[in-house]
Amino acid sequence: MWEQFIIQPMTNLLLFIYDLLGHGPHTFGFAIILFTIVVRLITWPLNASQVKGAQAMQELQNDKEWQDIQKKYAKDKEKIAQEQMRIYKERGINPFASCLPTLIQFPIIIGLYQSIIRALSVMPLDMLKLARTIYPFQNVEGIIPLNSKFLWMNLGSPESVHILGYAVPTLAVVVALTTYVQSKLTMPATSNPNDQGAQMSGMMSIYMPLMLGWFALNFASGIAIYFITSNALGIIQYAATGRANWSNLLPGGNKKPTTSKKK
Amino acid sequence: MKTKRLTLITLLALGALLISACSGRSTVANSWHGLSADAERAYVSAGSLIYAVDLKNGSEVWRYPAKVDANILFFANPVLTADGQLLIGSAGSKNHEFISLDPATGKEKWAKVFTGAKGAWVAPPLVLNETIYAPNTDGFLYILDMSGSQIADPIEIGGALWSAPVTDGTLIYLSSLDHHVHVIDPAARTAQAAIDLGGAIPSSPAINSDGAYVSSFASTIEFVKANNKHEVITKTESRVWGSPVLDGETLYYADLNGKVYSFDLASGKMNWSVLPDGPVAASLLIVGNQIYVASEADPTSKLGTLIALDREGKTVWSKEVGGKLYTTPVASADLILVAPYQADFTLAAYDADGKQAWTFTPAK
Repeated sequence: MWEQFIIQPMTNLLLFIYDLLGHGPHTFGFAIILFTIVVRLITWPLNASQVKGAQAMQELQNDKEWQDIQKKYAKDKEKIAQEQMRIYKERGINPFASCLPTLIQFPIIIGLYQSIIRALSVMPLDMLKLARTIYPFQNVEGIIPLNSKFLWMNLGSPESVHILGYAVPTLAVVVALTTYVQSKLTMPATSNPNDQGAQMSGMMSIYMPLMLGWFALNFASGIAIYFITSNALGIIQYAATGRANWSNLLPGGNKKPTTSKKK
Repeated sequence: MKTKRLTLITLLALGALLISACSGRSTVANSWHGLSADAERAYVSAGSLIYAVDLKNGSEVWRYPAKVDANILFFANPVLTADGQLLIGSAGSKNHEFISLDPATGKEKWAKVFTGAKGAWVAPPLVLNETIYAPNTDGFLYILDMSGSQIADPIEIGGALWSAPVTDGTLIYLSSLDHHVHVIDPAARTAQAAIDLGGAIPSSPAINSDGAYVSSFASTIEFVKANNKHEVITKTESRVWGSPVLDGETLYYADLNGKVYSFDLASGKMNWSVLPDGPVAASLLIVGNQIYVASEADPTSKLGTLIALDREGKTVWSKEVGGKLYTTPVASADLILVAPYQADFTLAAYDADGKQAWTFTPAK
């Protein structure tokens, strides 16, 4: 199932784009970037609804009823949680809205990683599998083997740049940074330090950059290209809504003064 | 909140584990075993270890290295030399080591391991006139003396090199995944021709005094001459992975659909073609009157199968070996040796009648 519905279509789409671009040097990197754009376009409605959900969460922080609940049940955390869930339900808000787009990426990341490794065919067994993965309409003879070079990278290996004798994993750093920026931008500003949704988002904005940075550090650099492109598109998509919380990027920028704005 | 934090961390860790489990780093990707033999022992390169196995009873004679290092991986066929060396390079990430072992003891022979290549070693080397020609996946052909010292600049070929160079005694023919057969003059240490065959070439050519017969992903068998001339002599139903085998005036080869062909070079006509079992990635082995076919996996049982055909293409016998068969069988001491991938054992020996003589399973 996984092979048939995830790996094969993904690998073939990647190879189709690669062939379309002329399958020369550096084109597999551009194929991954274009592939990411296609994936982002396909998942656009999903991401848009998540962005909308995150915005609703952001607005909720300044809602009178919400703030009254925090004050009224300040000493009863269970009651606060119950009341918060009631409001979420009533207003159709998903409290994990800002985390979900990142989590949804997991099957794509896994599929893409396997597709990249298979497409680049580092070992004979990979190439044999690749030959059997490619759909009959593809130009197999022309595109195999793929050119794994992209800029200074070998897309099938982890990336690093030698600076003063040290191997610096530049892509891993960029992946961690862009993931951090994306998580922070989509994180709702909160006036309440006990808000659970905001706390979860806060944790995600720390763990996700570290985890994706670790992936980029240890796995094929092609996957890092996907992360960076996907993050950049995510930031653009969110910024386009005009609700990006740029102040979150600054230390202590996640706190908003309590206001009594009524909905 | 602590529970939620734990749940989140567990979820992320599971995600990381899943990705890690899906495939290892590119440098530790798996591949099938390498195999060679002399009159007394078989040599199997299987992942982190190389085993010498006694042909009399299938017992282990030695293994290398004594301590397993996951960053050293052996997939290439080990090559025995006339001066008593066993040559092989590592496909692992550690230093891209190319080593020489004593076939009798498994001890390293060179004072210094060669670590000058930038890529993995998938191809076996060629020894010609006491010089080692070792192709690497970095696209270079390295030239070493018999003590492992680099004696000339490597020749840049281009494309990953996965197959052993072959020689007619004067010139060296080297296939590349870059779709070309490269003709090298060992005296001048230069590439004198590169012939485009229109598809990746993962296996070595079959050579005769006039040139080389080459199979490729272009689903053709081409005859290539050193002067850059080449012609398609026949087409195949599917892509061809293994090398064609030349036996007198007849060329034998098999494609990835599993079709086995016998082609008469004198008349330029197909003698016969048969489909004995599943797909075939290995090269064919011809011993006496039998053609041995290592079928990757039987269509029904999904198990690797060794088939003996007669010279007319009729099946003499067929044995399910187990695992998947990608490695080309090797003949020695009246035995046919097969090294299945992902089987319960690493090596199996059959006699000419298809009777299993022994299997070799490495002790833990």
